Parts: sequence; C-alpha cells; structure tokens
Amino acid sequence: MSLKDVEVRGRKIEAVLLLAIILASTPLIIGFSLLTLSSFSKHMVTNFDPNSFKFTLINWVRFLEGRMAITGGVRISVINIILNTLIVALGVAFVTTLIGTLAGYAISRMNFRYRKQLLLLLLLLHAFPGSVLIVGVYLIYIVTMPSNPEFIRYYSLFYVVIARAALEVPMAIWLMKGFFDLVPWEIEWAAIVDGASRIKVWWKVMLPLVKPGIAAIMLFGFLAGWQDLIYVRTFLQERTLATFIEANLEAEYSHMPLLAAVATFYLLPTIVFFVTSQKLLLKVTLAGVKR
Amino acid sequence: MVSIKLRNVTKRFGRVVAVDKISLDILDSEFFALLGPSGSGKSTILYLIAGIYKPTSGRIYFDQQDITDLPPKERNIGLVFQNWALYPHMKVYDNIAFPLRLKRLSEDNIYRKVVEVAKMLRINHLLDRYPWQLSGGQQQRVAIARALVKEPLVLLLDEPLSNLDALLRVSVRTELKRLQKSLGITTVYVTHDQAEALAMADRIAVINEGRVLQVGSPEEVYGKPSCRFVGGFLGNPPMNFIEASIERGREGVYLVINMDKVSVPKQYTNILSKLEIDRVVIGFRPEDIVIEKQCSPRDFCLHGEVYAVEPLGREYIVTIAIGEHMVKALTPRGQVFNVGEKVCVCPYSEKTILFDTKTEKSLEQLLVEKHGL
Amino acid sequence: MLYKLNNFFHKLYRFEALFFLIPALIIVFLFFILPVILSVYISFTPLKNWNIGKYLGEIVGFNNYYRFFYMIQHDPGTRSVFLTTIVFIAVTLTINVLGGLFLALATFFVYEKASAFIRTLWLLPRMAPIAVYSLVWYYFFHASRIGTLNSILLSIGLIDKPIDIGQKIIPWGPWSIIIFVNGLVGVSFGMIVFTSAINNIPKELVIAARVDGATNWQISRRILIPLMKWHILYVTTWQLLSLLTTYAHIFLLVKWNLVHRDYGTTWSLYIYNAAFTGTFDQGLAAAAGVILVVIGGVLGWITLKILGFDRMITRPRGDI
Repeated sequence: MSLKDVEVRGRKIEAVLLLAIILASTPLIIGFSLLTLSSFSKHMVTNFDPNSFKFTLINWVRFLEGRMAITGGVRISVINIILNTLIVALGVAFVTTLIGTLAGYAISRMNFRYRKQLLLLLLLLHAFPGSVLIVGVYLIYIVTMPSNPEFIRYYSLFYVVIARAALEVPMAIWLMKGFFDLVPWEIEWAAIVDGASRIKVWWKVMLPLVKPGIAAIMLFGFLAGWQDLIYVRTFLQERTLATFIEANLEAEYSHMPLLAAVATFYLLPTIVFFVTSQKLLLKVTLAGVKR
Repeated sequence: MVSIKLRNVTKRFGRVVAVDKISLDILDSEFFALLGPSGSGKSTILYLIAGIYKPTSGRIYFDQQDITDLPPKERNIGLVFQNWALYPHMKVYDNIAFPLRLKRLSEDNIYRKVVEVAKMLRINHLLDRYPWQLSGGQQQRVAIARALVKEPLVLLLDEPLSNLDALLRVSVRTELKRLQKSLGITTVYVTHDQAEALAMADRIAVINEGRVLQVGSPEEVYGKPSCRFVGGFLGNPPMNFIEASIERGREGVYLVINMDKVSVPKQYTNILSKLEIDRVVIGFRPEDIVIEKQCSPRDFCLHGEVYAVEPLGREYIVTIAIGEHMVKALTPRGQVFNVGEKVCVCPYSEKTILFDTKTEKSLEQLLVEKHGL
Repeated sequence: MLYKLNNFFHKLYRFEALFFLIPALIIVFLFFILPVILSVYISFTPLKNWNIGKYLGEIVGFNNYYRFFYMIQHDPGTRSVFLTTIVFIAVTLTINVLGGLFLALATFFVYEKASAFIRTLWLLPRMAPIAVYSLVWYYFFHASRIGTLNSILLSIGLIDKPIDIGQKIIPWGPWSIIIFVNGLVGVSFGMIVFTSAINNIPKELVIAARVDGATNWQISRRILIPLMKWHILYVTTWQLLSLLTTYAHIFLLVKWNLVHRDYGTTWSLYIYNAAFTGTFDQGLAAAAGVILVVIGGVLGWITLKILGFDRMITRPRGDI
C-alpha cells in the first residue's frame, strides 16, 4: 500500500491547516515579491501604495549596461562584479566537491587509525564559531600576501575560494560519506579483485554510483560561494554582487530600484536551483539524516 | 453486527482499474473470505469497506445505511493489517487501549475492556511488554485484540496469517475460526491461500483482475466451480484440465481426446443438447481419479503414461502424460507405479466438470446466463 | 619474511588512505586548526588595526580577557550584547524547532502538491544570497512609510504614524527583528529533517490510528512525534550550536542601521565587528572569541554525548 493517509477523511481541517501555513508564509512571499516588483518600477514598491508602482524596464536596462547611477555618470562594470561572484561560486563548488568526494570515500570505505576521531572533529568543526575563525584566517592572509600588487588580486580570489570552501568541507565529507555508505560493498570488492587500484576504483566505479551526492555537493558549494557576504567583504578587494548591494544601500548616488534589479538578478540562481532540484534535495537529506 | 453490501463499486488508480463494478452481499455474522491471487484487487475491496479507499463509483452499505462517504472512524470497524502495524513505542496494553483512549473512556473502563479482550486472546500476560519483545504469533494476537477491543460492527483482516510460519498458521487458523463463531461478528478475510479460505470461511468470493468470479460456500466453489479459473485456483494439487472435442452421434454424445473416445458424463447430456458447442475443457480433481492398469472401453477412462511419482507419506502424487497434457493424480499408499508404465486414468464421471473453451465458463454457468436464469 | 610483507602492505594501505585524505587534512589544518591557534595567540597580544609588525610579538597575558569582562560589567553596550545573545538563542531556538515541526506535520496532512511548494518556499531564507535576504527585511521593517510592515499596520489602523521598531522599541524591537530574520532561516533545517523522519514512519501506523478514530492532532501527538524523538533532539542541539555562531544574516541589518547596534548584535557579530570594523581591536575580539569557542565546545561535547555519537559510527566492512 503506497497510501499516505486514509482517502475518506474530513478535509475541513486540511483547509484550516493550509490557511495557517499560508499565513505563516506571508511575510516571506510579500518580502521577496515586492523586491522583485520594485526592480520593474520607477520607485521602490515596498509599501502597498499602488501609486509607487510605475512599470518600467529601465532599471534592468541600466543594470545590463552597467550604468549603476542616475546622476554623476558613474559607470560600474556589472560584468566584472557578476564575474567575480561567479568565480567565487564555481571555485567553492569545485574545491568542495573534490575534497568531499576524496575524503568521504576514504572515511566510508577504509579503516585507518583515528578514523572515528576524524569524524568527530569534522562534526565539531561545523559548529565552530565562524567569527572567531575568521580572525585567524585573516592573519594568515595578510602574512602570506604577496608583495607584488599585481598578484594580490589573484591571490585574494584564490584565498577567498579556498577559505570559503573550507567552511563547507566538513558537511560535504559527511554527506559524501553517507552516499558512499549506500553503495554495496560487493561492487567495490569485485573491482579490486579484477585488479583495479584504489584510485581507479574511486574514479571509475564509485564516483559514477554517487552522482546524486556529487550533484548535491556541487550545488550547495556553488550556492555557498554565490551567496557569501562576510568572506568576500573581508578578503576580496574586488566587488561581488553581495558587497555591491552592501555598499550601495541609500548611498547618495544610487537609485534604489536599480539595486532591486541587482538583487533580483542575484537571486536568480537560487530560484533556478529550486525549480530544478526538488528530487535532489530529498535524496540528499535522506542520505544525510540517517538514523 | 451488520450485513455489508457493495453495489457496482469501481476503484481506479489513475488508469488502472483495480476493482471493476463489483457487487457483493455479505451476511450478518458471516465469515466471508475474499480469495484471489496477488494483484487481484481483494485487498482493495477490503480497504474500500474500511473507508481507507474511496470508491470511484458505486455505493457501500452497512445494513441499510449508506456509508460510502463516512470516514473509517465512523464506520466502527476493526482492521488487522498484514504486518500488524503495532505502535512500536507503546506497550502492548497501550496499543490495545489506544482506540478506547481516543474515545475518552475512563481508565477503569479501559482497563476492564483491555483485560477482557486480552484474556480472550490469551495475551493477558504480555500486556506490559513492547511489540518488539513478542513473537510473530503474539504480535498478531495483539493486533487482533486492538481491532476487537472497541467492539466493532465488522472485523476486517488483510492476510493476517501470511507473516507467520507454516505450522503456526494452521493452529492459528483454527483459533480464529472459533473466535469468530463465538463472537458472531461479521468478518471479511482477505487471503491468497485457498486452503485457508476453504478451512475458515462460511462463504468465499473468488476474485481475479478486479472482478468477482464466483461467490459460494466452500463446497460450492470447490465442487461446482463456475469457471475454469475458480476450478484451477481451489484445490492442491490443482484441478486437471484437458481439452476435448464433442462428437454427437446417434448413440449419444461423446468426448474425444486424442485416441480416446468416452461418453459424456450423464449430468451433461441434457445441457449439451441445449448448447451448440463442439469443444470443451474437461476438469477433474486429482483425488477424484482411479488409476487402472487396463482400460475397459465402457468406462470413462483415458490412456496415459506415468511421467513422475512423488511420495508424500500419506499418499502419492502421480503425474501422468495423456497426449500432450500432464495430469496429476493422488493415489493411496498401497498403490505403486513406475515411471514409463502405461496406465488408464479414470476420473469419477459424476465429479467431472466441463468448461466452454472460449469463455472458460462451466457449461452450467453458460446455460444459466443464456437463459437468464 | 611474512612479517616484513605484512608490514609493507600495512604501510601501503595507510598510504592509500592518506592520498584521499590529504587534501581534506591540509585544508582543515590551514583553515580551522591553525587559525584557531592563531586566534588564541592573538587574544594574548594587544593587536590593533592589524598592525602585526608592532603588536604581534607582544604578550600581554590575560589583559584582553580582563578588559572584556570589565566591559561586560560596566559598558552598557557590551552588556546588552551579552543579554541579546541569550535572548536571541533561547527564543530563536524555540521558534526553529517548533516551527520546523509544525511545517513538517502540517505539510504531511495537507495535499501533496501544496506541500511540495510550501517546503520549497521555506528553503528560500536559507538559500537566498545573504545580501538580498537582508535587503528584503530592510525594506520590510523600514522605519518610515515605505516600510512594508509599517504600511500594513497603518492601513489597518493599528498605528497612526510609522514606528521605528529596530531603533526605538528597545529592547524587543531589535530583538524581534533579528529573531524573526534568523528564525526563518533556521526553520527550514528542522522542516527538512522532520519531514524525512515522518517519511520513514510506516504509513500503516497512521492508517491504523485513523481506523481507531484518531484526529490529525492525536496522530501527531501520540504516534508521529513520539517516533521522532531522536530527530527532535538532533535538530535542537544542532540549531543551538548554529545559533551560537551565526552572524552573517544580521550583519547588514546592523550596518545599515535597521536595528539598534547594541541590541541587534549577538556575541558572534560582536567579535567580527570588533576585529574588522569600528575600533579594529583584534586582541579584544580574539579574547571574546576564545571564550565563545570554549562555551561552544562544551555544548557541542554534551550534544554528542546526548545524541549517542558513538553508536552512529560503524566500522567499515572487510579488511582491505
């Protein structure tokens, strides 16, 4: 019986529940909708004043042209900002996935000394106060900074990616371990008996079998890098979408609906992720939360 | 204690029709079995009666009351699941008391009823344990106790014995039947095991592919199957089927199977005169056969060769090849046959049933339908 | 001879594991362990303005710690941070666990399609870029007519002019805002965990309870919730640790002056601001940080013991 619940039952309660849920969700819906709406309007639409909404596409046009100010002719290259955000996001995704799949495999399938302690450590790290951590991370940053100003740009990008990825690594390892645990032992033994080295087994046999896990980590890694604010503002000299929004709120020369457009654009990958990965989310949470 | 009526009930899941316009009449205090293979729709019918499924069309009645739209809790039914569905975090006592607590009876009242039902099922010494501490048989009795404690109008059981080991099944069968008789509660019992249905039920409905093929007492469905499926489903080893053609001559009507030509059994001469068919399927049960070394032409006998012999202790199963057909016969301990031996298979003609080749219905059934009887 | 062979394979085997683990070990060392050690060291120096040449070599003992405790006692700003942290964690934790539980149960009893949409919607706070998320609530709680909440309250006549929740209604104004903002983020975690827990409960139990006459509430209370005890504990302890350390989602709200600085700042944010903004007093920040780490460590250890971490880890099969 694949039934969830009895079919003949009172539906009135359900309607009430649904109403309660919708009520609770209202601030969320209102908040995000108004922001998106504002990006299409001449003035910000944040109260329910119908007068403030005057439809225009000019914000988006300006955004794509890179003219982020109405007066003063200040031209900021939007492309660069988006590119920086993208680099950070992709970098974090890549690093997290690489380390997660490597270490997750070892922890899941190999017995080594301190295995248990390592897992314990990873669990504890996740609960580590990030603001304390960042003080030390910054110290290392300025101590290892290259003296050549040409390289500083690249170094900070590189550093931000690895430092931010490091924050995701403990969770990624736990997640991948969960996925690797689900692969039957016999498949691996068969490959080893056939003569494959561990690395070959990992690359050719195990990785293809944990594709949902890899997809999940890449997605979460990407989103972590894409949405980050603190690390990029602390380490990066360049602007990303996050620091751009931070700097331009009610700054004298910025036009708020423009900022709303930037914010809506910034939100897009998140929305895309939602729409396309419902099932993935389920699989991930099931593997991660195993009793 | 009520009677249950289903009228033209259909249940669809998407495109799949699980139950196809069935009507059933289950009598008050009856032990009624729904018998059929996996996927036949028998459990679906049970859950429709329970209110877990809602019919796509059709109505369901308890006595005169139309209960089709009533949720399960208002139908006052007791349901025992195949895997018992006991609440693992509650003790046995609390599992049984659960329906009563929902009705907000006083704790004294609850205690009385729980102990009474537990005694009846002989699990009163287990009330303080958790389900995972009990054996399968004990867990099942707890499930039955929980169903009965609220004194329901109807008891519904979904293959309750299938999770028990074979020996236990036989003894529990007997007890369940006695319990039902002493309580007098209308019971609907789903099973795929024909022996179980025959042993326990007052009447059996044989179900296949969402349709009711035949409803009758165990003797009726066993001895007078209305179609080939019913004949073949009941009985172990199953009924033998051989195709034959009809030859109508001046001396009488004959059945022709390969080389053999035998007279049509007496009970069918009249029926055959009213039906225009020339091919039938002969059905006879393994226990209704006598195996002779020699065939005398006037008897209802067929020539065959012994293919295999399986000694079962109490009797033998002898498989005999008649032409291309394999026929199984049950023979008593004394008789010995050798593989390859040529023998004569003689079914009791009065127990033989003839089925129409095309519709697979018994000729009696065909006649009834033709004349609208 | 056999012994040598055995040894060799043993070393080889350990080498294999090492290959897979080295990237993780390096990154964990460089970005967790080393920084912690450095932070602890910094807490014993008078480091300011990141002037490492001048200050990093100097050890001033527990000076920074004394200063921190002194400020808690005498500086109302610092004291309110402390108070804010406690209230913030207590209230948000309750909201997160109960809210997640409510959503998981409610979506279980409601039509499937609506449930899927609701669960997706509630993931938005956690998944949205932090800057965008902050911007949304900035406008929602804005202290003038353009504030969404203000305009709602004005139009239904509850107030007659816009109110400054974040700055003027002390302390519950800023407290409510930061609890609300973080509450929405945390609810999604519980919701996911509890939904998966409910999915693991055999549905026959729910149906059996329905047949016995239970309502949604009775099924939740007597069947579903008791079978989710471990998950509830897991979410509670995990969220507790998360709330202790989170600061990104309220950083901008404080910076943009939506909320009162002292009552909108938690301990974690205080540390970041002390080190990277304002006074740039890294020594003090580090000291405050080390104390937080100790508290977090103790809570984390208790958590693991309660959750039975030992039982969660199973040995890999086979000896290869």
